Amino acid sequence: MPAPPEPVAPTAYSVPSLGYRILAAAARLVPLLILLVGLPVAALTYLQAQGISLPVSITTVEVAGVLISVLSTARYILRPTAAYGPVSIATSAVSVGYVLVLLAQSTYRISLPNSSLGVDVDYARLLELVLLVPALTLLASLVTTVEDAKAPKERLPFDYPA
Amino acid sequence: MALPAPSWSRTPPALYRVSRWFRRLALIVIVILTIFLATVGYSAYEFVSASPQSGGYSASFASNSTVAVTGDLSVANHGWYPLSGFDLSLRIRNASGDLIGTVTTGPETLAAGATTTVPIALYLPISPNSSAASLLVTDQYLAVGVWGNATYAYLFPISVHFEQNKSWGAPFANLAFQVGAPSEANGSTVVPVTVSFSDHAPFAEDGRLGLTLRASNDTPCGSVSYGLDVPSQGFFYQTENVVLSRGCSLAGGSADAVVVLGSATIPLPPETLP
Repeated sequence: MPAPPEPVAPTAYSVPSLGYRILAAAARLVPLLILLVGLPVAALTYLQAQGISLPVSITTVEVAGVLISVLSTARYILRPTAAYGPVSIATSAVSVGYVLVLLAQSTYRISLPNSSLGVDVDYARLLELVLLVPALTLLASLVTTVEDAKAPKERLPFDYPA
Repeated sequence: MALPAPSWSRTPPALYRVSRWFRRLALIVIVILTIFLATVGYSAYEFVSASPQSGGYSASFASNSTVAVTGDLSVANHGWYPLSGFDLSLRIRNASGDLIGTVTTGPETLAAGATTTVPIALYLPISPNSSAASLLVTDQYLAVGVWGNATYAYLFPISVHFEQNKSWGAPFANLAFQVGAPSEANGSTVVPVTVSFSDHAPFAEDGRLGLTLRASNDTPCGSVSYGLDVPSQGFFYQTENVVLSRGCSLAGGSADAVVVLGSATIPLPPETLP
């Protein structure tokens, strides 16, 4: 009786077309921009209108938010290519940098106009936990980059199963 | 005999699995943090909605030559997270900006859903040379600085500070001693001395006021006692005759008054006589 064949990993995969990926990435960009730029900027603008000092400048939030959103979109589009790893690293690195900038200004002094009330809130410990997220994705991106270098397209059957 | 169908392994390569594991861990952290922040936001809103309530304050004379300002603060934590390391400091400055008293309470932990009452007792020294002595005779605004520190929901150290001006009504406001013209009676020199003041404090004064008239070299020339029964916001005006010691001159001397109210003995600021 012949021996049964060794199980092997499937090799079939179906990568969506570039046009489809661009379309999906564009649709994904909208909620990203709302989450990373629209909502924070709206909140900061509201505080500013009330005469309350801001914990971080609106420009910082806008620049970082747009940069992370664009990089994340590019990462989505480039996922089937070897550029996916490096772009993922860039996205995570920018995110880490953004959280570190926020961390450096993590004691927020709220001073209400025409009031002697002053409130200091320190959210450094929260940001340190938030920092875990881009740090973990950075590690994931590094591993993916190594994987792509060692075995190009090895992950495609699992990222885009047929 | 038919061969079993080959089982195609779907196990991804090791590096792919490691990368996926990191991404999933990041996703778990995001979900946990999102839930945590949402509940902290809700809890903080509940906490602020039931902002600390003052149970009112009362002032009275204490037996150790101090004015005791006592009260309490009720803090309700209706949220889901504890308030730990909660401490409160009060600093009071008089109208001249001099620090006249401080008090610190805590630290204590207020569990989620709990309510606590923080007692506050502030003793302001009112001996003649103390910075709080002016509280006895001068109505003024006191600058009350309040500092509160706590850590909310394990991760958020919060510090609150505010200043408030509180009006202080002096218990012997506008205190005045008026020494009248001396007269001779039974071979002794007698002077009429009028004591007047207003009780602007929130408490009545029931006791005695002892007055000693001194010569310029600080020698006692005579003394007298006045009965006090002054309601809050009432006015006191009373004249008593003081028999002076033989040969004692009040010119350039002083009038020293000591008030005894219950167990409290309160020396009033001395007044120089013309």
